[in-house]
Amino acid sequence: MKVIECTGLTKTYLRKPVLNNLTFSIEENTITGLIGRNGAGKTTLLKILAGFIQETSGKVRVFDDGPFNSLFVSANSIFVDDQMIFPPALQLQEILEVAGSFYPNWDMKLAKGLAKYFDFDPKNYHNRLSKGKTSTFNSIIGLAARCPLTILDEPTTGMDEAVRKDFYRALLKDYLAHPRTIMISSHHLNEIEDLLEDVLLIKDGKKHLHLPISELKEWAIGIKGPTEKVLELTNGEELIYENRIGAGTMYAVVKNNFATLEIEKAGLERTPVRASDLCVYLTNDSRGGIDDVFNQC
Amino acid sequence: MHYNREEAEVILNADGSKPIYVQISEWIETEIMNGHLESDQKVYSQYQLAEMYTINPATAAKGLNLLVDENILYKKRGLGMFVSQMAKEMIVNKRKSQTLKRLVQELVLEAHRLQISEAELMEMIKAEQSEVGNE
Repeated sequence: MKVIECTGLTKTYLRKPVLNNLTFSIEENTITGLIGRNGAGKTTLLKILAGFIQETSGKVRVFDDGPFNSLFVSANSIFVDDQMIFPPALQLQEILEVAGSFYPNWDMKLAKGLAKYFDFDPKNYHNRLSKGKTSTFNSIIGLAARCPLTILDEPTTGMDEAVRKDFYRALLKDYLAHPRTIMISSHHLNEIEDLLEDVLLIKDGKKHLHLPISELKEWAIGIKGPTEKVLELTNGEELIYENRIGAGTMYAVVKNNFATLEIEKAGLERTPVRASDLCVYLTNDSRGGIDDVFNQC
Repeated sequence: MHYNREEAEVILNADGSKPIYVQISEWIETEIMNGHLESDQKVYSQYQLAEMYTINPATAAKGLNLLVDENILYKKRGLGMFVSQMAKEMIVNKRKSQTLKRLVQELVLEAHRLQISEAELMEMIKAEQSEVGNE
């Protein structure tokens, strides 16, 4: 069953398209990573799916319903980011209790257990929390709500490394025990890639790639060796990324269309490309990255 | 069935370049080779593996299915996956024909780059072998 279906989804702000003709669908009970550069449209997309803002054109279906102004979508989804607003008069323990009355699947034991583990004072107030603590608390709400559609927009902003690791493990453990559809956006693909089943990569508001993470890892390869030999072998192929090292050595990333033997016979080195690096290369506007700026000076 | 989480993480992160599902299938092969998993014994489910390694269960399933495709594991409907009778032999054969062959290829290539003669290379292999034999 498909939980999310978008067809030609477009959102414009002041006539400038933020999301441009997006078409994709998300299967039930999968964890999908939404990856894109700053300003690619990740948050806009997630907020449309949660029903917070309305699409300009195209079709959006969440649980087979238009999410904007849908009570059904609201009751079955949660959107977590570091801007969640809670009543300032309530203590953290009271927020947990009130949240419990909103979400039918709420697990108070989990919420309290996590709050204790992450060292929250139940009598503290939400607006007094630090940046990292705010993200942690909001993520606890997101996990304990156990919504059939859980949307996490940069959930680990400000969290320190240990907390991030703990949070990802808590997310996975709770997902194993209570499968649900999770969309998680992050700048740190290398941190979350193990958790993911699928990756949705967007660039300039358009869908760039949508495929299982295991295929993404084998989607491209790096070829290293003498520049002229690399160019000869990759002749006609699109170079996703290139880097010239020293005088005569070149590293190029291309689609995985080459046999290993073919590369080795040419005296070149074949290296796997990390999924997170590949995503950076794919979303760069220039093939040489930041070095291009300096090379033109 | 017990495991050490720290150890599990090290196993997975040691070589981030290899797809995780391949690493999972190789880990199960190693468990079979060193006798932790015996013939007709039930192997870890995709959910157990997911929890052990903090990975998506679909990734774990892909690793298991890789071994089912190679007949190293077999499925019992509704019960899970089990180690085949011939699993050890199959793994040995596979590693001989793929991994070892590949290592030899690399070895010969590197020797060629360093302009080491065949006799010299054979000497080095023999010396190494006698050292392993003496242990």
